[in-house]
Amino acid sequence: MRRMGEYRLEVNGDTHEVSAPDHWTLLEVLRYRLGLTGSKQGCDKGDCGACTVLVDGRPVLSCLSLARASEGRAITTIEGLMPAHLRAGGKGADPVQEAFDRCGALQCGFCQPGMILSARALLNRCPAPSREQMRDALSGNLCRCTGYTQIFEAVESAVATSLGLTPAPRSWEAPPVAKEARP
Amino acid sequence: MSARDLHGPGAPWGPGEPGAKSNQEFVTVGKPHRKVDGIAKATGAAIYADDITLPGMLHAKTLRSPHPHAKIRRIDTSKARALKGVHAVITGESMPIKYGVIPWTPDENALAVDKVRFIGDPVAAVAAIDEDTANAALKLIEVEYELLHTFLDPRESLVRAEPAIHEGRKEGNISKSVQLEFGQVDEALASADVVVEDDYFFHGSTHAPIEPHCAVATYSPDGVLTLWSATQITHYVHRALSRVLELPAHRIRVIQPCLGGAFGGKSDPFSLEFCVAKLAMLTGRAVKMLWTREEVFYAHRGRHPMQLHYRSGATKDGKLTGVDAKILIDGGSYSSFGLVTTYYSGQLLTGPYHFPTYRFDSTRVFTNKPPCGPKRGHGSVQPRFAFEVQLDQLAEKLALDPIEIRRRNFQGDFTRTVNGQRVTSNGFLQCLDEVERASRWRERRGKLGFGRGLGVAGSMYISGTNYPVYPNEMPQAGIQLKVDRSGLVTVFTGGNDIGQGSNSMCAYIVSEELGIPIERIRVVAADTDLCPVDLGAYSSRVTFMVGNATIDACRKLREQLVAAVAEKWGCAPTRVRLLEGLAIDLEDTSRSMTSVEAFHLAETKFDTLGATGSYNTPKLGGDYRGGTIGASPAYSFTAHVVDASVDVETGRITVHDVWVAHDCGRALNPMIVAGQMEGSAYMGIAEALFEEHDVNRFGLHRGPSLLDYRLPTSLDTPEFRARIVESIDPEGPYGAKEAGEGPLHPSLPALSNAVYDAVGIRLKHLPFTPAKVLAALREKRERESVATAQGAR
Amino acid sequence: MLRLPKFELCTPHTVAEAVKLLAECPGAMLVAGGTDLVPNMKHELFTPPRLVSLANVRELRGICTRDDGSLVIGAMTSLADVAASDLVRAHAPALAQACSLIAGPQLRTMGTLGGNVLLDTRCQWYNQTYFWRQALGFCMKKDGEVCHVVKGGKNCVAAASNDSAPTLMTLGAMLDLVGPSGPRSVPIDEFWVADGIYNKQLAKDELLVSIRVPKPPAGHRGAYGKLRDRGSIDFPLLGVAVRLDLDASGAVEHVDIVVTALAAQPKRITKVLELLRGTRPGTPQFDESVAQAAALAHKQCKPLANIPGDADYRREMVPVYVKRTLHAAARGEGPVHHV
Repeated sequence: MRRMGEYRLEVNGDTHEVSAPDHWTLLEVLRYRLGLTGSKQGCDKGDCGACTVLVDGRPVLSCLSLARASEGRAITTIEGLMPAHLRAGGKGADPVQEAFDRCGALQCGFCQPGMILSARALLNRCPAPSREQMRDALSGNLCRCTGYTQIFEAVESAVATSLGLTPAPRSWEAPPVAKEARP
Repeated sequence: MSARDLHGPGAPWGPGEPGAKSNQEFVTVGKPHRKVDGIAKATGAAIYADDITLPGMLHAKTLRSPHPHAKIRRIDTSKARALKGVHAVITGESMPIKYGVIPWTPDENALAVDKVRFIGDPVAAVAAIDEDTANAALKLIEVEYELLHTFLDPRESLVRAEPAIHEGRKEGNISKSVQLEFGQVDEALASADVVVEDDYFFHGSTHAPIEPHCAVATYSPDGVLTLWSATQITHYVHRALSRVLELPAHRIRVIQPCLGGAFGGKSDPFSLEFCVAKLAMLTGRAVKMLWTREEVFYAHRGRHPMQLHYRSGATKDGKLTGVDAKILIDGGSYSSFGLVTTYYSGQLLTGPYHFPTYRFDSTRVFTNKPPCGPKRGHGSVQPRFAFEVQLDQLAEKLALDPIEIRRRNFQGDFTRTVNGQRVTSNGFLQCLDEVERASRWRERRGKLGFGRGLGVAGSMYISGTNYPVYPNEMPQAGIQLKVDRSGLVTVFTGGNDIGQGSNSMCAYIVSEELGIPIERIRVVAADTDLCPVDLGAYSSRVTFMVGNATIDACRKLREQLVAAVAEKWGCAPTRVRLLEGLAIDLEDTSRSMTSVEAFHLAETKFDTLGATGSYNTPKLGGDYRGGTIGASPAYSFTAHVVDASVDVETGRITVHDVWVAHDCGRALNPMIVAGQMEGSAYMGIAEALFEEHDVNRFGLHRGPSLLDYRLPTSLDTPEFRARIVESIDPEGPYGAKEAGEGPLHPSLPALSNAVYDAVGIRLKHLPFTPAKVLAALREKRERESVATAQGAR
Repeated sequence: MLRLPKFELCTPHTVAEAVKLLAECPGAMLVAGGTDLVPNMKHELFTPPRLVSLANVRELRGICTRDDGSLVIGAMTSLADVAASDLVRAHAPALAQACSLIAGPQLRTMGTLGGNVLLDTRCQWYNQTYFWRQALGFCMKKDGEVCHVVKGGKNCVAAASNDSAPTLMTLGAMLDLVGPSGPRSVPIDEFWVADGIYNKQLAKDELLVSIRVPKPPAGHRGAYGKLRDRGSIDFPLLGVAVRLDLDASGAVEHVDIVVTALAAQPKRITKVLELLRGTRPGTPQFDESVAQAAALAHKQCKPLANIPGDADYRREMVPVYVKRTLHAAARGEGPVHHV
């Protein structure tokens, strides 16, 4: 029999023996016990989505999850996406991560681990979502930098890549308006 | 030669000069390259301040004042000190020296000394083995307060000096007052054909970066203090630590890790930075302090609430004759950047329109609220809102199209503003053209039916300022380059990448100048031990100043590389071009070598390779007291058109589209520029419709959480359509200017103007809550029914 | 980081075990999805010595219909699952709509129907950190004596903010509870008390097992309208649940309107059946009756400044949302939401 405060968590395919007090949230255990600091803390209490992780494939807020109550669930953090993609025979980062980087969706980057996991979960259940579906699925992840535009474009780009299509041109891609300075 | 000597028409990237290039001729610049840290951020590998854990690290927490204004009679920390696991407790007397980001107004203490000035003012700090123990210790600290009168209304602070929020000042509770007049405003308004006079109100808002403030400090046995902090001003934090801790600056190292957003909210030195440093020195242990979201709201430094009164006159054909402004600024409890804010509230309005005469009278007062400071578009978003709405009011009186009145008043490029600021490139007309075209303004404005409308607004903003916060003649930005024999070039910059992409910008420039791919460039930034001084990420200065310094350094290094290659080939250096990882002979394209070989040749010839570069502004500004505040080497220009509808039953405003056209000089990376434009416009719309930072009747923050302070979600955000205008500034790096702050300004007035087009109500008081919209609609109906009744009579 | 106070966590696998663990430790509390309790604990509104997590109690999850046609939803069924369930959408459309608008996507995945029914009441003077409440001098709902909403108020007026509850009231739902002395069932209408401190008749040692919705008539229509600032995350500033049963001829046979987020318990708008009975959606008579019902609702609702947001505005929105939600129900549409 294990002692109180000791339990197993299955994170990114690995089973970790965890020793932490019962009142530690999943976010605290991930960040400060397992060293998986990719999951971020932004609001303390379930308002921002930066701590989003996937539990059994569905996005949940790790800052409101009691770590020990997550025993027996398959937890995926942002650190797990690229290794899973590589294990599945892919190259480099997960296509969603890759698209976020390619499309400039990462400014400060702090909300993005949670955002990317919400986007990953959306694409897992709906491979070609409309922009409205994206708005809905990402509405629990606050981003303060982008105005969400480049995030939507990144998800659309990831979808287009997976379907072998070319994403729609972005508003700034038309040639810049020239204004020659006075000679 | 340094970059400061490259100014003016002789700049090698200026139009008509030998170095002039069109976008197509650049290899790296102007392309939507990835960011140097993009994939690290996407995979969770990027390290932010709270991701740092050091061996034996203690955790610190802050005790805060529960009173808005009180004297501290007594503090007893003995019980807290006695708690098991507590390593140190500090109070105001541990660090009595005052500081402030502006050297003329040092009025802050790391922890309160003698009195507290707002609910949340830091009073004591504890370092303990973990956060729970530190929190438990806080509850054991006894503080006895003597309550003082609380100032919540800035109008009271204006007239009542006692009790002084900051004692010993002859101005009482007035933080700063500026009156400047350019030309004879009263005469100009008296002679105008139309005059509009009105009041506007801008509420408070805050930055709310998703990353809360966090700092970690160590103090080594040999007496070196190292601080990792979520700051956007490493250099000023370095100076402030030295002052407050009475430690020579050479024994302090400040490092900014990856930063989770700032928007101006991390551009003051903050209490936690001093506290972890002091606690590390006292305990000999690493110490971390991570603020809760609630504490971030108390730290604030957000947008100042302003009560604005404007009077503007115009001729029959819509030309402005004069503008007269009176502004009351609610500064909250400390000065922060307030001196600058007060100037900016007047100084930054004098473009893109020509003001023949102008006067402003701005007064910032202290109140017992969280301190205000610089938020994206510092000091100028509020007056811009008021004035751009007033401009529409003038247009209406004159029966002019709102875009047309803006065109008619365009100040032109290479000109001087009424307050003496030098304007170089100016693409504002192109911005107006672009939003007019893209929004199909002519077909749609006024024709969308009751309930939906279009609105326009314009703005200008600085690309850095020649006012360096503390007076000195040294460069405002410095760069060092280091070359490795592997072909890797490392850029050392003091610049703070706060998500805007400044580290990437450095890499793009090095790539362009040295002809090497971006992946062979590493950027080391914002570490005071390793990097040359840069003043930090504020005033939209980084691309302009750090970019120019990078070009400067690269050209010195390039000169050595080219000389070495030319010597090897026995040709003139002008024949050697560095391109795509090669050095090539322009006249004999069969002859080339790799850049690695070129580096080796140059190292052999010149000794260890490296170069420094710097930038300083030319002498700028009006010849009067305060004339340099707001003086920028270049100004960016923006125009927005907002398409919005109003549900007249619920009062809810829905913004459908925002067209943002921004003159950024040259887009070094159009994707990043567009991201800044979209994010700026988002933040403006957010302030207009959702966000409000205020205290309740007790002086308590109304809702210090991301639940009650409502940042728009993806469902609340309109479509942003960014269009980049390139005016190619003669002094910016390759012609670039800022893009991170200017595009916020027009969002709010353009939305107000769109609502007027939609339903005929003039929203002048922010935020535009549904309740205010309904009240304005009711008032309009009453006005109309009175008018109808009078007409019938 | 804002920390949770210390507690012992139990993770039983059966209801019986859970009831026992709850009963044997005074002050122990149940936690389902944790989306309400965990932030409240971080605010030190609750500091239970023991938390009994229902996460592993499988028997509390799931949606099914019984032989009598009633719909049974396990209390631990996630809000996302309730919202997405075809059974619920067909049987209780207003409930599915309400669940689809609760908080944001992650919170709907974590949050449970039982948890939402039992949501703690909310108030701007209460849902704050310990530091904030201490600076305020606390309030009668927790740690203090006075009410900051109603000067000199004797009763707590914190607002019922559970979107699901008013829809369940219109549906005539039963709550199946179990405690140390065995199971009991209570109509949700009789479950509430007008006390913002604790607005439900649930003993501290009882557990909500399931929510039972009787089979509605063939012509049942239902819709939910929700007023909030943002399109996601936020609690309701006003919630309107509508039930509209049409007879075989398409005329209104039964109407029920329950509003929430105004006071300590959801509130039924009375005398609406008289106005709407016999009217046919799509006719001017129906529209006129809807307008009258909306006016009646306005008269009957007087929200206080308990939750953030302008109380006068919330009142002004009562008739608008009643009207819109009635029309949505009549058309078989909804929810009524601004996005």
